[in-house]
Amino acid sequence: MNDLTNPVEVLGIDAGGTMTDTFFVRADGTFVVGKAQSDVDEANAVLTSSADALAHWDKTPEEVFPQMVTCVFSGTAMLNRVVGRKGLRTGLIVSKGFEDFHRMGRAIQCYLGYAFEDRLHLNTHRYDEPLAHIHDTRGVTERVDSKGGVVIPVRLHEAREAARELIEQGCKAIVISFLSSYLNGTHERAVRDVCLEVAKEMGVKIPVFASVDYYPVRKETHRTNTTLLEAYAAEPSRAILANLSDRMKDIGAKYDVRVMASHGGTISWKAKELARTLVSGPIGGVMGSRYLAEQLGYENVACSDIGGTSFDMALIVKGKVSMHQDGDMARLVLSLPLVSMDTIGAGAGSFVRIDPYSNSLKLGPDSAGYRVGTCWPAGGVDTVSVTDCHIILGYLNPDNFLGGILELDVPRARQCVKDQIADPLGMSLEDAAAGVIELLDLSLRQHLRAMISAKGYSPSDFVCFSYGGGGPVHAYGYTMGLGFKETIVPAWAAGFSAFGCATADFEYRYDKSTDIGITKDSTTADKQEAVDTLGAAWKELADKVMEEFKINGFTEDDVTLTPGYRMQYLGQLNDLEMNSPLTQIGTPEDWDKLVATFDETYARVYADAARSPELGFGVTAAIMRGSVETKKPSIPSEPDAGPNPPAEAITGTRPFYYGRKWVDAKLYKMENLLPGNRVTGPAVIESDATTYVVPTGFETWLDGHRLFHLIEVE
Amino acid sequence: MSNYTKKQVSDLVKGTLDWETVHLMLSMPKDKDRYKLYMEVLQENVSYDDKILLAVGPHLNIVESAKDQEIIIKCDCGHEFGHYSKNWKLGALIYVRDSVEKMKEVYPELMAPDTSWQVYREYYCPSCGIMHDVEAPTPWYPVMHDIEPDLKTFFEWLEMPAPAKI
Repeated sequence: MNDLTNPVEVLGIDAGGTMTDTFFVRADGTFVVGKAQSDVDEANAVLTSSADALAHWDKTPEEVFPQMVTCVFSGTAMLNRVVGRKGLRTGLIVSKGFEDFHRMGRAIQCYLGYAFEDRLHLNTHRYDEPLAHIHDTRGVTERVDSKGGVVIPVRLHEAREAARELIEQGCKAIVISFLSSYLNGTHERAVRDVCLEVAKEMGVKIPVFASVDYYPVRKETHRTNTTLLEAYAAEPSRAILANLSDRMKDIGAKYDVRVMASHGGTISWKAKELARTLVSGPIGGVMGSRYLAEQLGYENVACSDIGGTSFDMALIVKGKVSMHQDGDMARLVLSLPLVSMDTIGAGAGSFVRIDPYSNSLKLGPDSAGYRVGTCWPAGGVDTVSVTDCHIILGYLNPDNFLGGILELDVPRARQCVKDQIADPLGMSLEDAAAGVIELLDLSLRQHLRAMISAKGYSPSDFVCFSYGGGGPVHAYGYTMGLGFKETIVPAWAAGFSAFGCATADFEYRYDKSTDIGITKDSTTADKQEAVDTLGAAWKELADKVMEEFKINGFTEDDVTLTPGYRMQYLGQLNDLEMNSPLTQIGTPEDWDKLVATFDETYARVYADAARSPELGFGVTAAIMRGSVETKKPSIPSEPDAGPNPPAEAITGTRPFYYGRKWVDAKLYKMENLLPGNRVTGPAVIESDATTYVVPTGFETWLDGHRLFHLIEVE
Repeated sequence: MSNYTKKQVSDLVKGTLDWETVHLMLSMPKDKDRYKLYMEVLQENVSYDDKILLAVGPHLNIVESAKDQEIIIKCDCGHEFGHYSKNWKLGALIYVRDSVEKMKEVYPELMAPDTSWQVYREYYCPSCGIMHDVEAPTPWYPVMHDIEPDLKTFFEWLEMPAPAKI
């Protein structure tokens, strides 16, 4: 096919801490993956990685970029800026008397994100530096009560003074967050206008963020953190993305770059609320799984992504990804809707040590990360990592690690494993290394099982997708014996997050907290009021969604609005999120329809008998999602070529240690395998970006969509 | 098990070690060399040659006297408080805060305890004047004896040679 009938249409970018992956897809679904070392200048890394990918098609970015229609970016730069506390100096204005709540972090930020033992022990608890320093914090006298009524009018002369001091001190942005402002935003907005006025008088141009304009939701620590991130971390990202967009435009790109956001949609890089894109990499994988599942007709999917430092799991149930209302990221509580994921700090690069008291193996919690392990002397690591064990046992090819860009020293790795692990345990080198891998697989398997059964499901109802750089190496190990319907490894596992980003909708999502409660004693007038309140909240959110789309030149006719809400039985702690059965509401009967939808959802998620309508119903949040049509990658579809792999796919054999003995594993080149081909273990299927291990007792076949199906045969 | 350098242990004592390393030290099983390195670091911070066995305060150590191998408690400045089995506080200068005025010197009014219920007893070195400890007991309570270490067992645990006179 030529370029005209089969143009390159979609680009997904995953700019990680160490590698920048690009994923290009043609109209017929064929794709290439590119890799480049990440760079301080992200645009450079993206273009280098693009050139690497397109070289597979003998093309250059200059030829391809002008024909593309979609580009989605996800990266870790913003997250790193937050973790390293290298953001914009930001001043904070709060209700007087509450200057300290931000650094108190709801008393949970001192252990958020820590391993279980470190959460239990007080001596490991520690508060990170607050985003806004206490010296850059000012209180302004005002008070709004829990119903939104003004108790103390705002003293604007204090706000004026505060703004002047903060700007004089050198703050480059100001954030305003008052108590209960989500119920009544007049005070915050008045102070915002005063700050802008003061800045103008002083002849400086600084951004001012009132929390009510961005995240009008309850829980002031969450709301303040999130609004602060908008100033502290997202402002610098705007400049980086503008540069990326300009560089792409220079070589002919006509599309608008979009960024993956934590709610699972993509938003424009020009969006007002860019803090939503703080965490995007792992979400890309979940979105990619959902898209793949939808295209191929899988209802229930367990997503598993294993990288160098962590194992991320998520569930798709009946085609739906569940959402977490206040996600926490980078050890901060935030009011961002986040795709629910479970993460454990064990990965393919975890360090391995012997616990001197129990004389047993201990994995992590830290990992070698980009420094790989003792097998890469230039990385400067002296402690054995899981990767070292993989290299020793023949799982990975030391001569082609990450496409051969690193030179590995296998004898050094053997010596380190012998000295640090095998000798202290009194085992052979091979058994010690195999023990490490078994331990990692066991711990991943237990977490995967726990996550599924804790939600009341059984693995036998699920198909497991395994991706990420380390997914295909461990897929057999962490799914063995769990009883999944099937385990699927996409041939583009290493670029799966980038692929997933490209499959996500162009979608904005806004939330607003509401306090609506209707019991069986409520009157029709009460229901009318409830419906009016919810309707007004939807209207407000819809306006915000439209405002964002207008930046990219869309009109109301282009945008599909999907209202949603979170409802609970009054008095219960948990609420459920669902799409509204109605796009417009206006009568008391509409309330009954919302309730009926909630009742059904509740019965499906929990159980019929657990329903408690006698308690009455509350709406805790109004949600509005707006999306426009975008071009998504097609899934490749190739004809069946029979079970026998072609000669060019077979590349030899390698000694491989499994089941306490050395065997000869057949080696295959992943790119050269054809649909229908069957491979029986022991075998190792290699490509530049990933290695797929099929041990004895397993078999795999490649389908027409370039998905490997892993089957346990014994 | 991890290994740390003497520089890292020294920074730990000074309080300048980076949090990531401190966190790792706290979470991981203790490395075998740690106590030895810790004692070496302490030894470098004092002016005397007597061997430090155990720290009982930021500037107060149990040492093996170079003179007669007796185990005594010694201030960084060299002042000797006597045999380690005796309460060193009895040989210290003592200042008791037992009135509103004296409390006001350290805490704002109304934020200090009622001295008929609780007093502060401050213990100072008679030679160099450094503060070694503060107690906050009820006024009638005897001088507290904070630590009576079983050094013999301690050195068995450490798997290090014990001094002769314990």
